[in-house]
Amino acid sequence: MSALDVGTYSPREKGVVGLLGALGAFLLVAVLTGFLAPAYLLYLIGLSAMYMLLSMGLNVQWGYGGMINFSVAAFFGLGAYGTALLTASGSPISGGVSPVIALFGGLGLAAVLAVIIGYPTLKLRDDYLAIASLGLAEVVRIFILNESQWTAGSAGLTGIPLFFSDWPVLGDLTYPYIFYAGGTPVFNMSQSVVTSALNVVLVTVIVAAVYLFLRRIHQSPWGRVLRTIRTDEDLAETLGKNTFAFKMQAFVIGSLIMALAGVFYSHLVLFVSPSDLQPITTFYVWVAVILGGTGSDRGAMLGGFTIVAIQQGTRFMTDTGLLPIGAAPLRLMLVGLLIIFIVRLRPEGILPPERELIWPDSLGGGRDE
Amino acid sequence: MAQILQYLANGLVFSSIIILGSIGLSLVYSIADFANFAHGDTMTLGAYGAFVAFGVFGGLGGTVLGLPLGFFLSLVVGMALAAVVAVLTHILVYKPLDTDSIGLLITSIGVAFVYRAVLQATFGTDFLQYDISRSGPIPVLLDTLDVAVTQRDVAIIVSAAVLVAGLHLLLQRTTLGRKMRATADNPDLARVSGIRTDRVILVMWVVGSALAAAGGVFLALYSQLDPRIGFNILLVVFAAVILGGIGSVYGAMLGGLLIGMLHELTPLLGDIGLPISNAYAPAVAFVIMVAVLLVRPRGIAGDMT
Repeated sequence: MSALDVGTYSPREKGVVGLLGALGAFLLVAVLTGFLAPAYLLYLIGLSAMYMLLSMGLNVQWGYGGMINFSVAAFFGLGAYGTALLTASGSPISGGVSPVIALFGGLGLAAVLAVIIGYPTLKLRDDYLAIASLGLAEVVRIFILNESQWTAGSAGLTGIPLFFSDWPVLGDLTYPYIFYAGGTPVFNMSQSVVTSALNVVLVTVIVAAVYLFLRRIHQSPWGRVLRTIRTDEDLAETLGKNTFAFKMQAFVIGSLIMALAGVFYSHLVLFVSPSDLQPITTFYVWVAVILGGTGSDRGAMLGGFTIVAIQQGTRFMTDTGLLPIGAAPLRLMLVGLLIIFIVRLRPEGILPPERELIWPDSLGGGRDE
Repeated sequence: MAQILQYLANGLVFSSIIILGSIGLSLVYSIADFANFAHGDTMTLGAYGAFVAFGVFGGLGGTVLGLPLGFFLSLVVGMALAAVVAVLTHILVYKPLDTDSIGLLITSIGVAFVYRAVLQATFGTDFLQYDISRSGPIPVLLDTLDVAVTQRDVAIIVSAAVLVAGLHLLLQRTTLGRKMRATADNPDLARVSGIRTDRVILVMWVVGSALAAAGGVFLALYSQLDPRIGFNILLVVFAAVILGGIGSVYGAMLGGLLIGMLHELTPLLGDIGLPISNAYAPAVAFVIMVAVLLVRPRGIAGDMT
């Protein structure tokens, strides 16, 4: 990633960066002028980062391995429910477990489900895998909706603590948190801003770690085999690779990242319900990945950001009262049209993997791998 | 025993709906070669089309099978509307695409969202009903067999049977039907044999969507109407199509019958002590679908056409 990074950004990439920069500046101005609450902006950043995680998770499965997983919502939901069931005061099972430990509860559930879904379906044809995984995700949702003795059913889980609630310093901050300069308070931070900021820090750490991890494994021999499988599974088989094992590994890794997003979501929104597991969540993530560029982690990030922009932007647009259409149908319409137009006009996505697919070692040579 | 008969009767009604949905899905799957995720929302579209039409024709006198004559006219309107929309979608969206079956699958999700958004924006998300008064169970059946079946149920079963029989005649007895079967079997061979496959594909969309719309109308008549009914049932329809064997119209009918029956027989599991409630009926269908895919990837009637 060294030499090629210098001065090789395409005009489109510069355009994307410019657009994001302009939007960031706009949001910053909105906050400074009091138009937008700082805590809300931080919440939006956290939500975008969560969608980035989901997109990166799907990218491992679809972008690297070519597996059409339509059960994103189920893995996201198990991560969210796993941690919520262990930590929430309203949990019918346990409650009161430290979020840091409960995190692994969510991941464990997702890993088990990944194997249960993956084992029968990963051998199937592409479109069968899509339908079967969507069906199995619905089974998970129906289970959570109906087994209220374990999951609280349609009421959802409340009383989920903040992620840092039982940490020595971060959990004990007193509010309002006021900075003094020479005896006079200069900066007054409310609880919502501090907790939102902590959430952003947390998710930034997770996203960065996942991104670095994925970049590493993608460039490893393991990633190369996986890409061969996506391009030509028979070839990989002929070369003596156990393609099923590789696909299963990628499926589990992707699912764990989605569950991680779910865990974060639980401690961000502090409420989970079966409606979070609706198939629409899965389709949002798919839009994010194909919009950003299948196989590209930077694209996944851009896609995740776009989804939040659509979700929250439609709310603002309909709040103005100028549109003859409600927020929910408008959102559905925009997402639908977005899908149709991407496949029609730019099937490779806005930021398709370019440099990501070139090994650092081969930078001296041509553009072939 | 009466309980089982009742489940079977319910199953027959639900199967009729699923069969109508699965035929169209199977036709599109074999001709256009992709899993059409907009098919469920095509069903919804037809149901709303008939709903609007019923507002116009509802007053028409006379009853057939216990339903007003205007209802059947509205059914035809709903079917026509779905057919027109599907053909337009094919021409405007799917045809110009240069992509594989997965790209088409993903596009069809976008199409489904657009259909649903339009319906939601126009009609809201509230539950609606066709303004037809409900009658109680047919007394004869209730007295002799202890099974509650309404005239409405009978109307759904009979209408579905008529539509399916019509399709059968179309496929087997007409030149157009032969061309459709040839195209479904091997599009390239059909094209070099001089069949104008473009037109046949359009006919497939018309037939498939019209039947889907009929399924949607009956589904709305059977329960109620909201913008999600079609999508909610889509996976069950997929289960039927896959069970029957993708690309086989008669397989889809058989699959639809089986899945519809199993869906309504789910309470039996509860009766014999398994902790599986009615809410799991779709889940049972999905699990069966996955199991069939594992054992017989081509479905139970995979090689019939």
